[in-house]
Amino acid sequence: MQSYQLPHLPPHLSSVHAALFKDVSDAAQLRQRLITASTAEGPDGTRARDALNFAFIEARLITSLQHLRTAIHQAVMADALGSLRTRTVHSEIIWSLNPTNNISEAMRRYGVSDTSTSLVVVRIDSPELSVTDIERDMDAAVNGTKVPFADLRDITDWTAVKKYHKLGNEVAIQQTKGDVDRERGVVDEIATSSVAMKMVMG
Amino acid sequence: MPGRVRSDPLKNPERPYLAIGLEGSANKFGAGVIKHFVDGTTAVLSNIRHTYITPPGEGFQPRHTALHHREWALQIIQECLVKAGVSMHDLDCICYTKGPGMGAPLQSVALVARTLSLLYNKPLVGVNHCVGHIEMGREVTGAQNPVVLYVSGGNTQVIAYSRQCYRIFGEALDIAVGNCLDRFARVINLSNDPAPGYNIEQEAKKGKRLLPIPYVTKGMDVSFSGILTAVEALTTDKRFRPDGQPKNANDEDIITPADLCFSLQETVFAMLVEITERAMAHIGSKEVLIVGGVGANERLQEMMGVMAEERGGKVFAMDERFCIDNGIMIAQAGLLSFRMGFETPISKSTCTQRFRTDQVHVSWRA
Amino acid sequence: MASPSLALISASTLISQGAEAHRFRKGYRHPTLDASLTRSRVAGEARALLRCLRSGVNVPGVRMVDASEGILGIEQVESDALEEYEIPVDVLMQLIGQEIAKMHLADVIHGDLTTSNMMLRHPSSFKSHHPTLRTELVLIDFGLSFYSSLIEDKAVDLYVLERAFSSTHPDSEPLFASILKAYGQGMGKDWAAIERRLDDVRLRGRKRSMVG
Repeated sequence: MQSYQLPHLPPHLSSVHAALFKDVSDAAQLRQRLITASTAEGPDGTRARDALNFAFIEARLITSLQHLRTAIHQAVMADALGSLRTRTVHSEIIWSLNPTNNISEAMRRYGVSDTSTSLVVVRIDSPELSVTDIERDMDAAVNGTKVPFADLRDITDWTAVKKYHKLGNEVAIQQTKGDVDRERGVVDEIATSSVAMKMVMG
Repeated sequence: MPGRVRSDPLKNPERPYLAIGLEGSANKFGAGVIKHFVDGTTAVLSNIRHTYITPPGEGFQPRHTALHHREWALQIIQECLVKAGVSMHDLDCICYTKGPGMGAPLQSVALVARTLSLLYNKPLVGVNHCVGHIEMGREVTGAQNPVVLYVSGGNTQVIAYSRQCYRIFGEALDIAVGNCLDRFARVINLSNDPAPGYNIEQEAKKGKRLLPIPYVTKGMDVSFSGILTAVEALTTDKRFRPDGQPKNANDEDIITPADLCFSLQETVFAMLVEITERAMAHIGSKEVLIVGGVGANERLQEMMGVMAEERGGKVFAMDERFCIDNGIMIAQAGLLSFRMGFETPISKSTCTQRFRTDQVHVSWRA
Repeated sequence: MASPSLALISASTLISQGAEAHRFRKGYRHPTLDASLTRSRVAGEARALLRCLRSGVNVPGVRMVDASEGILGIEQVESDALEEYEIPVDVLMQLIGQEIAKMHLADVIHGDLTTSNMMLRHPSSFKSHHPTLRTELVLIDFGLSFYSSLIEDKAVDLYVLERAFSSTHPDSEPLFASILKAYGQGMGKDWAAIERRLDDVRLRGRKRSMVG
């Protein structure tokens, strides 16, 4: 898990923790638990929600750590400015990643799905929370292998990213003339910039 | 400016020099006497002007303006010499505005200059009006190498000096900013005395409401004709009250002439400051000098000051004596080139309505 | 806390490695006018940059947008003084022409083309795909850009550059001619009409030599 601070933001949004899991075996159950927890009442419900207080992101649609961090930053900014489009800062990260304004489409594509096998898990909170506790909760929530973010390069599904960003016929892609590394660089830049400018996408 | 600093080719004079300048490219006739001392300093010995003022709602026509200049020229020149305490015989040269400007008024003043030149056997120096503004601005304010915003009834230019030329970085693509303001003053029937732009400025101080007006910048250029149309159209808006007064106690959503003057000034001046800032960034200058009649507007000076301060720079501006067209600026620019050996022979002492700032060889600067 | 973006800028904290932010707000403008201009320019610049990225024009990537504060965070383009690259002048002019052509083919009008709005990427900061050049030309500052397919707008865009060239470079004519040559090749069949219009625009410019 990696942690970093955003000192220019209010304290309750200033601490970021993120980890990449591969070989996730229980995505369907995880999704079910999220649905149940979201409607459960009483102290049990609160406990269930606390245990799953993360953003669970479809890792194969993340093109780079910079892509992820840009989405996190836009979500945290929206929360700080009181302009969240979704219910929580965690769901806002998922919304930021999707190129359209459709919330349910964003959750379906960029959130955890029954078929997810790799997940990025993110927690935004105050620096007062212990990193050890957060990591423990994270490990308890996901059944998979935690790997460094560098492993994203084997996980990203470039065809899916290109499809969601409608990049099939774009000049920028054609210009790379089949040079895979170069094409991935271009796709990553477009995906990252799209996330960063979503506020004014119009 | 990168590279080594070169010293100006113009050296201090071996004796004091005196020049008279005659200006009449628009509706002001001006005469002034300037003196250059051996230590390199300069003194304004006199600077007198008479303005042709038309009734409210009317602009000045070339023919009437030329008549005005002919009528006043001798009297103003006489006053100017008396005030300066010099006679025609003491002068080193006679400087006159060669252009740009309105044809008929330019010609009437050139005729006076030519006649004096022949009568007293003094060399003539034809001067570019815009360069006159710039040189007088530099002299009065002490600005060394500023970006110049030249704003008047006939011209809107952002200028910077480079290699013996005042290069135009940006300008109005259609009408000049002063023309836009003056024409709007006529639309709402403001007085032309002392100047329509002055009365817009006073009226704008009472304005409260900023109305949306087009904001048109293209790179370092600006355009004002669409703005004039838009603000004119607001005078036919059903919320417009020509007397500035609500019809009754419930008449709250109204537009007053003051609001329109305010909105117009805020918009066009913001555009001018923006292109000036862009030119400053482009050439890496921190100084800005405002010249031309519109440059006397204190709101424009204030806005430019805020911009310059944000960039850690400084704005140089002048009051109406030197901003508005005058004779002394023609004397100053003319004497600078005369001291570099420039003269305009009688046979070439014509005028030209079109005379771009960047056509002048600025021989006296490095 | 007033504004996270402002705090970000004053603390000069980077959103990610190699990003820089620039502000559109201007203290000299009336607040209402400033707010609407700022919002539309930030949005306009971000959209133009994305459009350029998708069309293969070399521009900095977008990293952060705060439209209400008028702040745009962009990728920091590592660059060096021109002489460091040892590029022949005609190659440089060619790069300029090619990049503007790509931009115009995407119907993006820059609105403020000057040499100060162009950078050469430092060889150490990226992998060049060019067979011989170790750098690439990056167009920056799209604050005045807009979307248009009109020949007139493209011609005026070029004219703005030509003027900026002639006001800062003494013998600019052959330089600008080689920019246009590369631009023309890039534009293909669209070039002839733009070239004709550019002549018209120049003429208009010269006529504009007097009173309004």
